[in-house]
Amino acid sequence: MTITAEPAVQVQGDRVSLLRVLGPAHVWALGVGIVLVGEFTGWNFAADKGGALAALIVCWIVGLLYTSVAMIDSEVTSTVAAAGGQYAQAKHIVGPLMAFNVALFLVFAYTMLEVSDAILLGDTIVAKAGVEGINHNSFIAATIVVLAWLNYRGVLMTLNVNFVITAIAYVSIVILFFSVSPWTQGAVLKLNELVTPGNALPYGWIGVIAAFQFGIWYYLGIEGTTQAAEEVRSPARSLPYGTMAGMITLLIAAAMTWYVCASLMPWEYLGITYYPLWDAGKLTGSALLENLLFIATLLAALASANGCINDAARAWFSLGRDRYLPTWFSAVHPKYRTPYRSILFLLPIALAFAFIADLNQAITFSILSGVLQYTFMSINIIMFRKKWPLGSIRRGYTHPFHPLPAIVLFCLCVVTFFAIFLGFGSQLIAMVAFYFLISLWFHFYRYKFVRRGAQFTMPWPKPQGY
Amino acid sequence: MWVALSYACWGISIVLALWMLYDWFKIDTTYSEEMLTSSREGELEAVSEKHRI
Amino acid sequence: MARYTPPEQSKAGQVFDIAVVVVAIFVALWLPLKLGLAGAAKSIDALDAKTWEALGQNPTMASIWEKLGYTPETAHDIIQNRFHYIIDWPTLIIMAAVLIGYFIFLFRASDREYRDVIDEKFGDK
Repeated sequence: MTITAEPAVQVQGDRVSLLRVLGPAHVWALGVGIVLVGEFTGWNFAADKGGALAALIVCWIVGLLYTSVAMIDSEVTSTVAAAGGQYAQAKHIVGPLMAFNVALFLVFAYTMLEVSDAILLGDTIVAKAGVEGINHNSFIAATIVVLAWLNYRGVLMTLNVNFVITAIAYVSIVILFFSVSPWTQGAVLKLNELVTPGNALPYGWIGVIAAFQFGIWYYLGIEGTTQAAEEVRSPARSLPYGTMAGMITLLIAAAMTWYVCASLMPWEYLGITYYPLWDAGKLTGSALLENLLFIATLLAALASANGCINDAARAWFSLGRDRYLPTWFSAVHPKYRTPYRSILFLLPIALAFAFIADLNQAITFSILSGVLQYTFMSINIIMFRKKWPLGSIRRGYTHPFHPLPAIVLFCLCVVTFFAIFLGFGSQLIAMVAFYFLISLWFHFYRYKFVRRGAQFTMPWPKPQGY
Repeated sequence: MWVALSYACWGISIVLALWMLYDWFKIDTTYSEEMLTSSREGELEAVSEKHRI
Repeated sequence: MARYTPPEQSKAGQVFDIAVVVVAIFVALWLPLKLGLAGAAKSIDALDAKTWEALGQNPTMASIWEKLGYTPETAHDIIQNRFHYIIDWPTLIIMAAVLIGYFIFLFRASDREYRDVIDEKFGDK
């Protein structure tokens, strides 16, 4: 039997598809752009959960987790290059129900991250204004709507903008780092007086474990680079390259951020502030640095929300395209070549949550969906290597030391689930219950509208063991 | 100044939101549903060849 | 294996499905907020003596707090607002069971669906 449901590749005719216009720099901008806001807010809640030293320890260990994520992701996605990223991977490697869940993880993680970014941006402006009677809602609305509009109008412009604003935000961290003379302690930085043996780990080692939850926030979203797979000119090369470069950039930024912030404020304050880097700028006493970091905080939040709209819309779009959700969502704008209906659909949802949730909660929702997804990725790569061993298909990139990264990733996910349990346990159960119920809905009802064989679009041989 | 900025933000949001709604309506009524939802996974190489920018 | 032809979904059906998903998303995200389940489990260990020393802040820390505009009174609620990490075994076991059960269901049901996909795609040529 031949595959007739999917007509052979058609070139002529009136078809619209996403546009292949992006290069490695855009992939970097998408990945780092989403994540960099984590240095401006969010990572510091790890200090709240475990103390300043715990925040540094998780920065490194979670860095290891994400290096595994980036390696695994690069291998799979350089082979399964389709919009939807991990969703398309799950569909080809594990199965439809898993794919449906993965897409929901993606949409939730990114939408809630977008919500957090918008709230952060609104709150930052309100804090800066410092006048009575000003509400953050207008700034939240403007952030979400303007970025949705940018996304609506085309991916190239969206990611060009992201590249510029991400680069400015990144450079501002570097400028802050070098202007506080990091090589001499005591002048501006007072690490040994702020992080003392007595308060470095106020909760002991359990605090370090608990801090994993927000340690995720140093890097959450780097795996979003794969969403651009259908819009990158040469996915097999650009995606691994952009993702790895992004990961290295972030590891450097995370280390600098921790060092400056922990040397400038007591951990109790660091743990609750919404603007650790902006506060660091203030505490240096330089008005220039303060304003620079204020603007950088806004830009980082914008870049992140922008990337999130991009990624969430692609994941939602792919769900529609495979009929996992109504096909209505799979429309591509004939002129701008973007998944415009998905962008519009997710806009009011993001807006509604930005108005009702608070930052901490939105971040936790996002982290939860992220960790569920990483757990999937660790199992996914093992299945991928089993079903299509090396040499059976062409891989753009092959990650080293398999299966070590997968095992490391899995163990760290288990630790992170335990960390979420410490302090946010009921929220975790509520989320998993939701995914479980919606999975039942999909498996027993919605899946009947899905074409079976047509979901498998990669030109691969039959998987081993089937 | 901040209050004015706040109103400006509401204004921009509403204008852009209305523009998107307008464009959405225009596109959906101009093109056929088959054409709009004709994107397929795995066909992109060939399609992008044709629409070279 | 015979090719499976899915039923065409009516417009109303599509709209209904979208509504189901939207409601599910809102319930999942909004209900925990409403029930107060979301957010950190923290509580304040109140101290009587509200001085920087009593709050465990050395002079460097105290000077930074003051630079940020805090007094020992206003900083008290921040510094003494602590997590209390008590491992509540029943909840932990429920959480682990829910998570593991969820993943087992996911992989098993996916595998069943996946076999159909592979059969149809690579089936008896």
